[in-house]
Amino acid sequence: MRFMIIVKATKDSEAGLMPSTELLAAMGAYNEELVKAGIMLAGDGLHPSTKGARIRFDGEKRAVVDGPFAETKELIAGFWIWQCKSWDEAIEWVKRCPNPMTGPSEIEIRQIFEAEDFGAEFTPELRAQEERVWAEAKKNAG
Amino acid sequence: MRFMVMVKATTDSEAGAQPTQELLDAMMAYNEELVKAGIMKGGDGLQPSSKGARVQFDGAKRSVVDGPFAETKELVAGFWLWECKSLDEAIAWVKRCPNPMPGPSEIEIRPLYELADFGEIVTPETAATWDRLKTEIGDKS
Repeated sequence: MRFMIIVKATKDSEAGLMPSTELLAAMGAYNEELVKAGIMLAGDGLHPSTKGARIRFDGEKRAVVDGPFAETKELIAGFWIWQCKSWDEAIEWVKRCPNPMTGPSEIEIRQIFEAEDFGAEFTPELRAQEERVWAEAKKNAG
Repeated sequence: MRFMVMVKATTDSEAGAQPTQELLDAMMAYNEELVKAGIMKGGDGLQPSSKGARVQFDGAKRSVVDGPFAETKELVAGFWLWECKSLDEAIAWVKRCPNPMPGPSEIEIRPLYELADFGEIVTPETAATWDRLKTEIGDKS
């Protein structure tokens, strides 16, 4: 099972507060464990939303709204993509994570859709196209 | 510049509404353009938050809260990882995206940190760890 692990934003992360040397080292060590265990497929930190933008879709209309965005609870500060055997395994690994923030914080675990989850809508043609697109995307990533 | 591009959740996505054949076709065609342009590095859709959980951190304490989560605005339904020349280029590409939802929706663009952004906070030892991990993860992709 694949999961997106989301580090929710805080006032500190939205203020652009840099992590401490100790936290970066602790997160590096934790990520090393994740990689050795074959769990971690990807991960990154996000700049504050002041450096971001949103695009609102309504029919054909596209409206651009520049950051920052006031509702911190709506925002993300970082993420991983994990491969785990089960829900419980993902939760256990999150519990072992160093607190990613200076104060209280929250990490959200969400399951990723796989092709089989889409059922009959996902035709063999779409599946083949998706596999081709993903293979090319991986080449781009390398 | 590297970006995370997030499709925000809606009541439809949180209800587990399946995308239509037409939307799947349109999104796959769009992804194909992104890949051909060298923009797209990865991306996935997320199951509703009823299939999720949150872990709350407070000091050494870890509390698990099962989904679903009521505030749809706080949630993400899908994401891409993009490499663009600028935020403006990323915005231009998002505008070309098919509406990912049956009704009004929103996509958020956020730049990703690079190790260099942390400057002197990063010790040489930590930088070496991150570089080694990046290589190992890259090999797995």
